[in-house]
Amino acid sequence: MAFVSSGYNPDKPMENRISDIGPRKFDEFYPPVIAKNKGKWLYHEILQPGVLVHVAESGDEVYTVRCGGARLMSVTHIREICDIADAHCDGYLRFTTRNNIEFMVDSKDKVQPLIDDLESRKFDGGSFKFPVGGTGAGVTNIVHTQGWIHCHTPATDASGPVKATMDVLFDDFKQHRMPAQIRVSLACCLNMCGAVHCSDIAILGYHRKPPLLDHEYLDKMCEIPLAIAACPTAAIKPAKVEFKGEKVKSVAVKNERCMFCGNCYTMCPSMPLADKEGDGIVIMVGGKVSNRISNPKFSKVVVAFLPNDAPRWDATTAIIKKIVEVYAADAQKYERVGDWAERIGWEKFFEKCELDFTHHLIDDFRDAAYYTWRQTTNFKF
Amino acid sequence: MEYEEAKTLIVEKLMKKQKSKSKFYFSDLAKILEMKPRAAKKFINQMVQDETLEYWSSGSTSMYGLPGTGKQAAAEHED
Amino acid sequence: MAKHETPMLDQLESGPWPSFVSDLKQEAARRAANPDNVEFQVPQDCVEDILGVLELSFKHGRTHWKHGGIVGVFGYGGGVIGRYCDQPEMFPGVAHFHTVRVAQPAGKYYKAEYLRELMAIWDMRGSGITNMHGSTGDIIFIGTQTDQLEEIFWEMTHNLNQDLGGSGSNLRTPADCIGSSRCEYSCYDTQALCHDLTVEYQDELHRPAFPYKFKFKFDGCPNCCVASIARADMAFIGTWKDDIKIDQEAVAAYVGGEFAPNGGAHSGRDWGPFDMEKEVTGLCPTKCMMYDGKKLYIDTANCTRCMHCINVMPRALRIGDDRGLSILVGAKAPILDGAQMGSLLVPFVKVEEPYDEIKEVIESIWDWWMEEGKNRERLGELIKRQGFQKLLVATGIDPVIQHVQEPRHNPYIFWNEDEVDGGWDRDIDAFRKDHQR
Repeated sequence: MAFVSSGYNPDKPMENRISDIGPRKFDEFYPPVIAKNKGKWLYHEILQPGVLVHVAESGDEVYTVRCGGARLMSVTHIREICDIADAHCDGYLRFTTRNNIEFMVDSKDKVQPLIDDLESRKFDGGSFKFPVGGTGAGVTNIVHTQGWIHCHTPATDASGPVKATMDVLFDDFKQHRMPAQIRVSLACCLNMCGAVHCSDIAILGYHRKPPLLDHEYLDKMCEIPLAIAACPTAAIKPAKVEFKGEKVKSVAVKNERCMFCGNCYTMCPSMPLADKEGDGIVIMVGGKVSNRISNPKFSKVVVAFLPNDAPRWDATTAIIKKIVEVYAADAQKYERVGDWAERIGWEKFFEKCELDFTHHLIDDFRDAAYYTWRQTTNFKF
Repeated sequence: MEYEEAKTLIVEKLMKKQKSKSKFYFSDLAKILEMKPRAAKKFINQMVQDETLEYWSSGSTSMYGLPGTGKQAAAEHED
Repeated sequence: MAKHETPMLDQLESGPWPSFVSDLKQEAARRAANPDNVEFQVPQDCVEDILGVLELSFKHGRTHWKHGGIVGVFGYGGGVIGRYCDQPEMFPGVAHFHTVRVAQPAGKYYKAEYLRELMAIWDMRGSGITNMHGSTGDIIFIGTQTDQLEEIFWEMTHNLNQDLGGSGSNLRTPADCIGSSRCEYSCYDTQALCHDLTVEYQDELHRPAFPYKFKFKFDGCPNCCVASIARADMAFIGTWKDDIKIDQEAVAAYVGGEFAPNGGAHSGRDWGPFDMEKEVTGLCPTKCMMYDGKKLYIDTANCTRCMHCINVMPRALRIGDDRGLSILVGAKAPILDGAQMGSLLVPFVKVEEPYDEIKEVIESIWDWWMEEGKNRERLGELIKRQGFQKLLVATGIDPVIQHVQEPRHNPYIFWNEDEVDGGWDRDIDAFRKDHQR
C-alpha cells in the first residue's frame, strides 16, 4: 500500500520535533474510585481466586478481577480487552508486573457479570482468552522474555514453554492450595533480560556450544576488535586463518573459557552459537524477592540441562509439575519453595523431588562458589 | 573548550582509528575530550544532533561512531 | 488459508492457558480480511510470516533473528532495537522487523480510549503484535520497518503525547508497583515518584552516556512486588519507623476465625483453625511479637518490618505513620560476575516533593559511576570492585551499622593516612635512636 506520511519531514528531522515528554501521566488513567481513595485504603481480601476487594476509609470498595494473559498480544486481542473494559469498567483497566490484566469495578453486583464475560471468551483453538485467577497461595502468571519470536541470542523459546508450563499448572492458577505463592519465571538466555534469578521456579535457556566461526565472512561483516571486546571472559583473540588456501583475518575462541552468553554474536553475526542439540533449559528453584519472614534469596540450579523438546517441552513441564506437587504436599503454611528446601535441607529436596545430583550443580564460578559448599558436619544422609 | 574545537578533536581521533574500529564507547569520547562525563555529554549530544556522530546499540550497550562508517552498516542493509 | 503450515505451533493451541498461537492466527486472519480498510504500512501478511519463522525455529531448535544496532529515531540512542530475519526470502514480511519500546504509564493503568489510539498507530505502521509488557516494564511493539520508525514516533509524540522508552547504556524506563493507589501496604506514592523521576531524567533515558544499563524500580513495601531488590541498580522500597498500628478487636476476629488469614490467600485448602503462635508470632523473624490470648504486643524497636504479620492479618495490623523509603543499590542478574541483590545505602528518607534528597543520591551515584565505571560494568560490580566505602564517599553518606549484615571477617583495613595520628611520614633517624640496626 502507498506510504502515508505522519507529517514528519525526513529532510528536516528537527522541524516541529517533540521529544523528551516521557510517558502519559498515570492519574489520567485512574478509575474514579482509585483517584478518590488513593492512599486511604484500609484492607483487602481475596474473595475467590482472581477476585479481590479493597476497602477504603471512606467505605468505598473496589473489586478487582484479575485474569491471565499471554504477554505476546495482538492489536485485535488488546481491542477486545478495551471492549471488556468499556462494557464493565467505564473503560478503565490495568496490567500487573506479571502480565496479568486487572479489571476494576466499584460495586459487588458488577463482579459476577464481569467474571462470566471473561470466562466465556475463548480463542478458536479452544484456550481461554481471559482465565480468572493468579492470586494468593497459588501459581500466578509467568514473567518471561522474547525467545524465538524476536530475539537473536535465545537458547530456547519463551512463549512456547510458558504456554506449555501454564497449561500444566493451570489448576493452580485458579486455586489457593499451595503453602505460599509460587512465582515462575523464564529467561531465554543467561543474559536474563527478564531477571529470573530470584524466582521460586526459574526456567532458563542455556547454550552449551561455543560460537561457530564463519571465517570466510568474519572480517567482512564484523569489526574484530568489537567482537573481542564483547567477550566477558576474554575467550576470543584475533587470528590469521587458512581459508581455501588464503590467509584471512578472523578470530580464535578458547572454547574452555566460553560461558555461552552470545555477546560476541550480538557484535558479530559471523559467530552464531545456537544449536539444536547444544541448546536447552536449566531449572533453578528457591529464589524470592520478598523480605517476608526470610531475606530475599537467589534461585539455585537443580537441573543442569533439559532438551528443547518443542512444541511442548515435556521434560521441563514434568519436572516443574513434580517440584510443585512435592512442595504442596510437604511445605508448611506460608513457607516459600526456597524456605522449605532450606528447612528440610537440599539433600532432602533432591530426594523428595527425585532429582539427580551431578557435578554441574556444584558452583565453580568465581568467588561466590566457596560460600555454597558445605562448611559444617551438619548434613543429612 | 568550544564546541567546534571539541567536534574537530572527536572527528580527527575517530577518523584515525577507522582502520581498526568504527564504534566507540561514551567513555572513549569523554577521554578524547579530556572532560568529565557530564560535561562531555552536552557536546556529544550536540554532535549527534548535527549528525557528526551516530548511535549504535547492541540493545544492552550503546556505542558511537561516525555516520555510515564501519562494517555494521553494510551487514544490516541499512546503508 | 494460512500462508505457512505450522504443525508444531498448532499443538500449542490446545490446553486451557491463553494461546499466543491462536492470537497470532486471529491477527493474521484479520489483517488478511482487513475489515476496517487499514492502510497497512508494513507487509499485510507479516503476522503469517511471524508464524512461519517461529515454526521454523521450533523445527530447527534455533532462532532465526539477527541483531541490528543502527536503526532508531533521530537524536535518541534508545527505544528501538534493530531486528532482521535470517531467512528474508522465505519470510519477506518480517525481513526487517524492529522492536519499539514505548514508555508505559506508572502503575500500568490505562483507559481503553488511549490504548485504542496507540493500537491504531501500531496496526497501521507495524505488525500489530505487542508485548504487554516487556520485562523492564515498557509496552513493546514487535516488528516494523525502518521507514516507519520516525512516523510512529511523530504520531505518538504529536497525537498521543507519548514518548519512547529506554534501551542500551541508558536509564531504562522506570517501573513501579501498584503502590498507594490501591494497596494499603504501600508506604509512599510509587506512581508519583516513578513518574517524576522518569520525566526529570528524560535525557538520561534517551541519550546513552552511562557505562551500561541503569534501572530504577519502586516498591511500596518490603513485599517487593516489582522485584526491585533483585534487579534494580537503585531500588526504592517503602518502609516506616514507628509502631505497626494494631486493632485488637480485629486481632480477636482473626483468632476467632471471623476473618480469613492472609486476606483469604489460603482458601483452597483446610489448614485447620487459625493459630496465632504457629502462623504469626512463631514465624516472626525477630520474635518481637507476643500474644497473651487477649492482646497482641509488638516491640517496635526490634521489628524489621518484614511484612509477614501484616500480610497475615491485614484487617488488624497496619503499617506505621512515619513513612518513607529505603534505597538499596547495585542489584543485577548474574551476567557477568554473579547475581547481586541490592545493598542498603539509605536506610530511611522521607518521600516529599520535589524529592530533592532522593535526587541528590541518584546524581552523586551517577557522577561516580560515569567516572569510575568500566565499559559494561553495572553499578553493583563497581561497588564490589572499589568497595562500599567508595560509594559512601561518593554519596557523602555516613557509615551506619545498618549498612552491613555483620561486620567484616578480616582485619585488613585500608587505613587512610589522615586517620592515623602523626600520619605516615616518619623519621628513620629518630626511630634508630631507640632501635639498633
